[in-house]
Amino acid sequence: MQLEFFLLLAAALFCIGIYGLITSRNAVRVLMSIELMLNGVNLNLVGFSNFLDHTNIRGQVFSVFVITVAAAEAAVGLAIVLAIYRNRETIDMEQFNLLKW
Amino acid sequence: MNDFFSQTIWLVPLYSLSGALFTLPWSPGIIRQTGPRPAGYISTVMTVIGLVHSLLALRVTVQQPVKYLSFDWLHAANLDIAFELEVSTITVSALVLILGLNFLAKIYAIGYMEMDWGWARFYSMLALFEGGMCTLVLCNSLFFSYVVLEILTLGTYLLIGLWFNQSLVVTGARDAFLTKRVGDLILLMGVVALLPLAGTWNYTELGEWAKTANLSPGVANLLCLALIAGPLGKCAQFPLHLWLDEAMEGPMPATILRNTVVVSTGAWVLIKLQPVLALSPLALSTMIGIGSVTAIGAGLIAIAQIDIKRSLSYSVSAYMGLVFIAVGTQQDDTALRLLFTYAIAMSLLVMSIGSVVLNTITQDLTQYGGLWSRRPISGLAFLVGAAAMVACPPFGCFWILTEMADNLWHTHPTLVGVLLIVNGLTAFSLTREFSLIFGGKPKPMTVRSPEGLWALVLPMTFGMGFALHVPILLDKWNLLPGWENLNFAVATLLVISTFIGAGAAAYIYLTDKIAKPIQLKHKAVQDFFAYDLYTAQIYRVTIIFAVGLVSQIVYWFDRYLVDGVINLFGLATIFSGESLKYNVSGQTQFYFLSILLGVILFVGVICFPFLAQLSVNPVF
Repeated sequence: MQLEFFLLLAAALFCIGIYGLITSRNAVRVLMSIELMLNGVNLNLVGFSNFLDHTNIRGQVFSVFVITVAAAEAAVGLAIVLAIYRNRETIDMEQFNLLKW
Repeated sequence: MNDFFSQTIWLVPLYSLSGALFTLPWSPGIIRQTGPRPAGYISTVMTVIGLVHSLLALRVTVQQPVKYLSFDWLHAANLDIAFELEVSTITVSALVLILGLNFLAKIYAIGYMEMDWGWARFYSMLALFEGGMCTLVLCNSLFFSYVVLEILTLGTYLLIGLWFNQSLVVTGARDAFLTKRVGDLILLMGVVALLPLAGTWNYTELGEWAKTANLSPGVANLLCLALIAGPLGKCAQFPLHLWLDEAMEGPMPATILRNTVVVSTGAWVLIKLQPVLALSPLALSTMIGIGSVTAIGAGLIAIAQIDIKRSLSYSVSAYMGLVFIAVGTQQDDTALRLLFTYAIAMSLLVMSIGSVVLNTITQDLTQYGGLWSRRPISGLAFLVGAAAMVACPPFGCFWILTEMADNLWHTHPTLVGVLLIVNGLTAFSLTREFSLIFGGKPKPMTVRSPEGLWALVLPMTFGMGFALHVPILLDKWNLLPGWENLNFAVATLLVISTFIGAGAAAYIYLTDKIAKPIQLKHKAVQDFFAYDLYTAQIYRVTIIFAVGLVSQIVYWFDRYLVDGVINLFGLATIFSGESLKYNVSGQTQFYFLSILLGVILFVGVICFPFLAQLSVNPVF
């Protein structure tokens, strides 16, 4: 019964990430929320690999990749935030609604 | 050589039609230098060629049995439509009559249209009519009769509308086209319905079929009533008679033809269809009823008119009513003879008043007076025409009317009464016209009114001579009853009615005992007939109102409901596009939310069966 607890924890983490992703006004905090979600996913992957795939632990390999990609993504994300900041001098998400209808 | 002319009788309409084409180059827009006169000369020459051809053919056909020619026109599946011609004494005589009257009218028009530039249009229309009428009398097929009738309807429209810068001409041409069209269209229903029943449109074969045909009364009645409707409109019978009154806006030479032969085209088809019409007693009594009502009504209206052309046009309707009565009582030969004598008399009357109108300008009978001493030829022509039109013993129509009354004497005594009344009324109205124009004192409009040019007088005197010879011709053709066969009672009654009518009119209008203009005690009655029974108003409040209302409703329906539904789709699309674009809010987080909601929905839909199973059969 231990897997369910892992999964529930991961889901809770993921949902907290989603909540942060949608409600944060600070762009950096949005990136942080995305990290939370990715970590929730990693928790899932590790949990599955431990409980369902003892021998090959492919989930752990997956999570290594996810961590790597997440790091790159965060770097690029921060670069984008910086680029926006240079132009607009703010990182408030509410101010970035120029590309509407 | 002899046979040549009767074999090639089908060329006669083609002469006229080629004349119609050859005149067109002299339209003012094409040949700009020489003026329009050659158009008239060419057209007249083509008529003369046709006339000579048909006269030569007549000499041969009189001695020969009826011949039939046939040209294939259309083969389609089971339908073979052939253009069938009948070369008989009657058809070729009709050709001669038509071409002769056309010749007179064209010579007349050379004088009458002197001050007019529209010769090309006018003569080509006349030639089209001539060709159409020649085709009509030659063709022995109901289908092609209908085709020609329709072409002539279009021709009427164009010919009445010759001087189209006058507003009354435009409305008159419109009414003539639509009224005749309505009749023709109902005729088309009859024509189409006849083919499956009889299997042929050939008049001869229709006659054969009608002898043994066994139709249910309902079918026969409807069919025959539809077949009557076409001639009803063509012959200007009640209630489709107003067009002829308004058609008097057209030029006078065309009126000669319209009043004599064009209205007779309908009667010709009616006479040809007589064997079929005899299938339905209802149709016959309808014809008699319409003919009687028209004859008496139009006779009364003619008396109440002050416009000389219109007064004559109602006499036309009255005489066509007599033809309807004759066909309704199955005397087709009498009807044909009446058409012949009537056409000559009426052409003379119209030519006479045309020559008066041309040099006196007004058409108002109350403005005329005292022309007899200065216009003797026109006056004589009018007198001879009037005498030839009513039952005045030696002249043409007397014999035919007597023959008709004689045939009716035992079978339909009331119709003899109708005949007497119509004859008396016509005698009254013609004498009234004569007395008002030629009798009395000159009025300001008629103080100086010279006799017309030779081109007006020549055809008039020709026509007069012909009208005087009609009884001799009838005698030569053995069409006059012998003295021993003549029903003297009927003949006397007719002559008495003529003299009562003519005498009363002469007494009223030639003496000063009664104040002119004459006022009846009942002004309403006088107006009722003077405004031709208020037919225009009747049309306006019935059929025109109904059609107008329906078309407005249909227009509204089309404009707002049909268009509206389609436009609603377009509007809804625009509106949805305009409103849905606000989904693109520009907020990245809103897009994240949309993605999330989409994923949840998608997963929910995919997993729904699984989840539903979970709730029904809990695994735990």
